Amino acid sequence: MRGLLRAAGAVAVLLLAGCAEVPDPSGANDPYESFNRQVFDFNHKLDKAVIKPVAEAYVDVVPAPARDGVHNVLVNLNLPITFANDLLQGDLERGSETFWRFAINSSLGLGGLFDVATTNFHIPFHTEDFGQTLAVWGVQEGPYLVLPVVGPDPPRDIGGQIGDTVMDPWTYWPHIRDKFWWSVGRGVLSGIDLRARNLDTLDQIERQSIDLYASIRSLYRQNRNNEIRNGKPDVSDLPNL
Amino acid sequence: MLKMKRVARQFAAAAAICGVAAWISNPATASPAAEAFVQTNVQRGLAILNNPSLSKQQRQEQFRNFLVTLTDLRRIALYTLGPARRAASPAQQDAFVEAFRNYAFAVYGAEFSKYGGQGLRVTGSVERAPGDELVRTQLVDPHARPGQEPIGVDFRVYGSAGHYSVVDIVVAGLDLAITEQDDFSAFLAQHNNDVNALIANLRQRAERVRSTGQI
Repeated sequence: MRGLLRAAGAVAVLLLAGCAEVPDPSGANDPYESFNRQVFDFNHKLDKAVIKPVAEAYVDVVPAPARDGVHNVLVNLNLPITFANDLLQGDLERGSETFWRFAINSSLGLGGLFDVATTNFHIPFHTEDFGQTLAVWGVQEGPYLVLPVVGPDPPRDIGGQIGDTVMDPWTYWPHIRDKFWWSVGRGVLSGIDLRARNLDTLDQIERQSIDLYASIRSLYRQNRNNEIRNGKPDVSDLPNL
Repeated sequence: MLKMKRVARQFAAAAAICGVAAWISNPATASPAAEAFVQTNVQRGLAILNNPSLSKQQRQEQFRNFLVTLTDLRRIALYTLGPARRAASPAQQDAFVEAFRNYAFAVYGAEFSKYGGQGLRVTGSVERAPGDELVRTQLVDPHARPGQEPIGVDFRVYGSAGHYSVVDIVVAGLDLAITEQDDFSAFLAQHNNDVNALIANLRQRAERVRSTGQI
């Protein structure tokens, strides 16, 4: 219970950080830009030195069906979080899709290994997280922040990650929650899986940008807003060319 | 803002359930002419990319000329310049448009050379204002793994039947014009708003792609 209260307090502080009036010289809601750029440079070097080579080795060594299996299991483990957020956003239709996806893939899909829900039942796939839920509830993103290793993570999304951890049933599963290999293993594997699936995309972005930091900031926000709108275009928000 | 939209959407869904006329639940009118424009030109573009008798050079040349007729490059270029556009002289603006054109063709042209048989299927359109349409398509990828969600590619189209041009493209929710403007604005902020520095940088990059074949 105390843990829950602490988590709620942390979320509240972060959300209030999003409301504070901070000077913003660039007009891009990035008042901590010089700090962010330094962290970004560090992350970029870390990626080149360690993370990207590990992801490339993973792709070279592990055959595609096995990598797909790993990805499917990781996605399946996160579905309860998606389900909780579907309901918190009042979206019963997508909540129902998530429920059946989890039930089918966990059972027929052998613990999530096979994505039977898509291939045999054609259930549309989506993910939700508490950061998106906070946005749907009207919370602003807050000033842009880049965290070491994690990357872009503005206050609303930090609050979202805390909320998701609180809502994640595996956090409370008695047999595994204290197991080091579970939390670290799941986290590291998720990171490698994500990096491996974005090798070409991030290379392309780097090739095409003049200012990689600014491009990533722009793309991160556009991608988040797209996720929050569930992929639907907001024509009123399009630029005036 | 988002909350009001949610309420509006839920109201619209309820109205449809009650059997109210379809036009209330779908206020944005589709534009068959804009959709036909995109569909026809997608086919023209694919014909060039898939033409086995063209050399790599010819293919790039033809595709480039095709894109010039299809898009309003000047409008896109000046948008990406952002607030700096107002301070730039007409000569600077012209130089920038030219540099942007060469940069875009070099950088994006190199990406197109990796083309591997994908297509685009028009799925509908949404009107933002008269003469301002968003035509929605889906990427049809023969190499996509089973179960992969199809990528949405939206074309922002200005004009009217017979006089359309593409002014922006949105891939998986990522708007090209916005991304380029954010990139260039950051460069200008780091270089004292010097438009000539940006022009020089774009020229350098275009030249590097041309001479090395790598971006």
